[in-house]
Formats: sequence, structure tokens, C-alpha cells
Amino acid sequence: MRRGSKVADRRQGGSVLKGQNRIRLLGICFSTAFAVIALQVGQLTLRHHQAFANPEIAQHEPRQPRPDIVDRNGRILATDISVSSLFSDPRKVIDVDEAVELLTANLPDLDAKTLRQKMRQPGRAFVWLKRQVGPDERDAIYNLGIPGVGFVEERKRIYPQGRLAAHTVGYVDVDTKGIAGIEKYLDDQGAIYTASLSQPESNTSAPAQLSIDLGVEQVLTDEVSKAVEKFHALSGGGIIMDVETGEIIALASLPDYNPNTEDKRLTSDQQNKLTSGVYELGSVIKAVTFAMAFDYGTANFKSTYDTRQPLQIGKFRIHDFHAEHKVQSVEEVFTNSSNIGTAKMALQVGLDNHMEFLKRVGLLDRLITEVPESAKPLLPHNWSKLASATAAFGHGFAVQPLQGLSVIADLINGGMAVPPTFMKRSKEEAQALAHRIVKPETSEKMRYLFRRNVEIGTGGKADVLGYRVGGKTGTAEKVIHGHYSKDKSLASFIGAFPMDHPKYAILVMLDEPKAIPETHGFATAGWNAVPTASKIIERVAPLLGIEPKFSEDDLAKLAKQNKILKREG
Amino acid sequence: MFKVFNAILVCSVLAAAFVLYSLEHSTRGLERSIAKTEKQIINEQERIKLLNAEWASLTKPDRIQKIAGEQLHLQNLKAQQFIQLTDIDSRVPISPPIKLEAQAADAIGDMLEKLQ
Repeated sequence: MRRGSKVADRRQGGSVLKGQNRIRLLGICFSTAFAVIALQVGQLTLRHHQAFANPEIAQHEPRQPRPDIVDRNGRILATDISVSSLFSDPRKVIDVDEAVELLTANLPDLDAKTLRQKMRQPGRAFVWLKRQVGPDERDAIYNLGIPGVGFVEERKRIYPQGRLAAHTVGYVDVDTKGIAGIEKYLDDQGAIYTASLSQPESNTSAPAQLSIDLGVEQVLTDEVSKAVEKFHALSGGGIIMDVETGEIIALASLPDYNPNTEDKRLTSDQQNKLTSGVYELGSVIKAVTFAMAFDYGTANFKSTYDTRQPLQIGKFRIHDFHAEHKVQSVEEVFTNSSNIGTAKMALQVGLDNHMEFLKRVGLLDRLITEVPESAKPLLPHNWSKLASATAAFGHGFAVQPLQGLSVIADLINGGMAVPPTFMKRSKEEAQALAHRIVKPETSEKMRYLFRRNVEIGTGGKADVLGYRVGGKTGTAEKVIHGHYSKDKSLASFIGAFPMDHPKYAILVMLDEPKAIPETHGFATAGWNAVPTASKIIERVAPLLGIEPKFSEDDLAKLAKQNKILKREG
Repeated sequence: MFKVFNAILVCSVLAAAFVLYSLEHSTRGLERSIAKTEKQIINEQERIKLLNAEWASLTKPDRIQKIAGEQLHLQNLKAQQFIQLTDIDSRVPISPPIKLEAQAADAIGDMLEKLQ
């Protein structure tokens, strides 16, 4: 029995041992499994957590906002704001009368009758009640808790400066896509530039900075609009440009428009005439001819030109507006604005050289800037002796006014062609883009002529004591039905200041100015565009940081003025 | 031996579950507050943009010029009014031409009140 039980015991003991082994095996399996899981969890949380964090953000990348547009000093020209629009779901409105009463109490400009009609359309699920509600009114309506009434957030592009610089900034359509001016540039060729402004980590965009200075822009717009009114001109325009960097500091084309209005069916008058229009600039182009003659060495300050007889080319005769009937020096040809003298200078240079020079300064090609509205120049069909002679004094070919100003700026800044820009640009960037078009000595001579023309010539009324203004006037007869009109003209002035070392170039243009009693019956540029430029320079020179300097003559003039003032009390 | 071990395991599971739950709870709370703060930031940014735009339209040069013309009656700055910094001693009057304290009135303040 005992022995038998022992055997049984041993048999039992063996099975217990077997069971314990199984449990142990199972334990090992489980603990390995747990250890693997624990390790994996530890690794995922400690080591690879970044790998999981990044795709999370990439999954819902929000749309990059449209960059703001600011002026050179950071003042806002265009920005996006979020606006709420009020809508209603008529199916969910419980008490229409109560809802209408509450809404009209908070939004007085809503009409109760139409509102009731809109909200009593049981078949519809969505009706706009009011677009673009202000934030305070929105909060008030939220707090009313009217069922079936809600808001949708919308983006809206606004232009806080209104009409100022409207032609440069342009505008967007309802889907905030740029369709004019810099706004269009941001969407089109400037897309890379726009992308460079975006800052993905903060989901914002740096503003696009223009070269425009709002203070200067205001003065220019104000004075040009006063001049348009005073001289009963059809339209007017003005540009101020930095001659060293090519930056356009201000550009005003009148009549203008308010970019904030919904309805932008602009008349052709309201277009940016300074870049999208071409004009025969007339005598201001004479400066180009003079620079050409100096640069080719066919004329110098000792040269003289016989202007006693009209210049006969084939059937045509070239006359002088201010006929002097004498042999004039180069300086006199410029200050008296002699057509005959200038035409003779161009003919001396020769047809091919004249063409080559116009090409070199860029008057034969379309001027392209950031603002997309740009017009191609109108050139004579065949480049004959007559075409060359008339082109010498700015007739027979038409360019953008901005193009004319840019060329004159290049001729007096030392002879370097700098492409004009509406974007802020540093001196270094401008130097990298510049290339020489005329010799520095030629530029020096042009500066002298421009200053002289204001001191004694047709630009006399442009002078502002202390700011050394120089410039050239132009009164171009307009082409009406294929003929030059005798009484309709385009008056312009292109100048620069301070002339001893030009910093800024200015253009003032008036389309069909009329003679008024104050101008003694004259409607030439010297009587309208020039005094306007003078007023503009007087106001903008302090804004642009031009230090006044007075010559002996200036001081004498000042003393005389003071005496008159004292005598008058 | 096993009983004690099991009891410890059960307790630690309970404790771990509690810690896990409370961590998750606080994480959700933090997530909510992050979302709320982000929304506030966006709202504030929108507000700043709106105020900037309003400021820009209030300080637009044509408006300033109009108000200045109506209120201040100033003339355009002439070139001859600029002086060198070294000459400034001779140009500053010894006593101010307008004594605000003596007038016992705030001229600019009055002007602003009239504007509103």
C-alpha cells in the first residue's frame, strides 16, 4: 500500500512538475510579449515623437493669406480683413415677426418688409440677409440667439487710403484675385515674389513694400488735381521718381477712382494714363536729342545753329514756336526751345545713329514695370530724314509719360540707365541692374542745360528758391483726326532737383489746359505745368529730405521779396 | 506569496489606470485651452488688422491735410525757414510766445473737443 502510494505520489509529482513548466513557459511568452510592447511604446514616445508630429501639421495646411501692400514707410495701402455676412435658413426660423423685429432693431439699415419676405420662403435653406456686417453688430446679433439666423466668415480686400495711389495698387475681383496694378502683379509674374513673402511657420505673409511714399503721393495728387481744375484740363498726371534707384516715389493720374467701390466699370479717362497711355511729349524730348549730340560729339557748347529760316525737308517746313530769327548757341537753342535748331542737331548726328541712340535709351521699346498696364510706343513707319528731324523735338512718336521721365532721369543721374520700379529698392540693388547709356560728361552738360532753362528759359516758373530746380517744358499739339490741332495741346514739364546733384525727377502733365486770365491768354506748359511742378517741389522737397542751399542770386531775390512784404505791412 | 504579488499588481494597475486617466483628462483640458487660445490669437490678429486698417484710413494724408487746413491755418514750409543746427540758439525765443499755463486753457484740447 505504502509502496503503491509512493508510486502514485511520484506519478502525481511528475504531472505537477509538468504543469509548473507549462506555466513558466507561458509566463516567459507573456513577459516577452509585454517587454516587446513596452519597448516599442517607449521607443515611439521617446525617440520618434517628432516623426509623428510633423505629418500631423502637413495634413491640413491652411491657405496662405494674400500679402498686405504697404508704402515705403510701412503705411498700409491694401489689407485683408475678415467680415461676417448674415444669412438665414428660413426652414428653421420659428417666429418670423420676432426675428425681424430683433434684427431691424440691431441693424437699422435693414428693411423690415423685404426681410420678412426673405424669411418667409419655407422652400429655401439659405438666403443672404446682409453682407459684411461689422464685428460689434455681429456680436450683438449672436447674443440675441435667434434660431435660423447665422453668420458666414468672408475675407474682404480693403484699401484704407482710398483714391491715393489707386492706379499703382490696383484692385482685386470678388474672389480676391488681382486684376489691376500691383495686385495683379502679385498674382502673375510676381508669384515667386509673393511666395517669398509668406512665412509658413506663423501662417502669415510679410507685406509687399512699394516704393511709393504716401505723403509725397498726397501732395502730388492734391496739386495736380488743383491744376486740372484751375486750367480746365481734361486730365492730368504727375510722377516723382528717384533718379539713382529708379524707384517711383509717387504717381498720380487724374481723374482717378476709389478702389473700395464695388462697381469698377472705369471710364477710359480713369485709366492710368502715365503707363497705359502713349503721348507725343513734344519739346521735353529735345533733351534726348541734345544728350545724343553731346554723346556723339557732333555738338558742344560752342556750336551754333542758324534758326533764321524755317527748316525745309521735302514738302514740309519746320517752324519755331518762339521764333528768335538769329543764329543761336546750343544753350539758346535749349532755353528758347528751338525746333529748327534741335532738328538740325539730329540731322548732324545722322539717321542710323539717331535710331541707335533712341533704342539705347529705351524709347523704342515697351517699358515694362511691375504695374501690368503698359503701352507700346507709337513709332514712325519709315525712318526718314523728316521722321528723324521731327522726332528730335518729340513729334511723330509717342511713348508712355513714365518712359519719358525715366529716360530723362537716366540722362541726368550720371548717365546710368536704371529700370524704373514700383517696389522698394536699395541703392546696391539699383547699381547691380544699371548700365551706362551716356558718358558722365554728357550727363554733366545736361544738368547744366536743365538748370539754365529754369534760370533763364521756358521753365522759369518752376524755380523754388533753395532747391535748385532744373527742367524742360513741352507743349505738344495734339493729333485730332490725323492732323495737329492748333488749340488742343498736351502741356508737360520734366525736371529734377536739386540740379547740382539730382536726387529726384518730376513729371507734370496736363491734357488740353485752357488759357485763363491769370496766364494772359497763354496755354503753353510754361504757364500751367511748370508752376504746378514748382508748387509740388516746394511741398515735397522737405518731405524728401532735400537740404536747401541759396546762391547769391537767390539771396538777393529773397531780400527783395522780404522788402515787398514789409512794405505791404 | 503569489497572492501578495497579485494584489500588488492589481493595485498598480488601478493606480496606473488612474494616472493615465487623469493625464488624459488634463491633456484634453490643455488641448481645449490651446484651441481656445489659438482662436483668441486669430481673433486678436483679425482685430489688429482691422484696427490697423482703421488707423490707416484715419491718418490718410488727404484727411490730415483737410483737418489741418480747417483747424491750424498753417502755411507751406519755405526753404528759407530751414536753419543749421548750430544757429538754433539765436532762433529760439527766451520765453515761449504762448504761455499755456497763463491762458488757463488747453487750446489743443479745446480744438479736439470741437472736432468731436
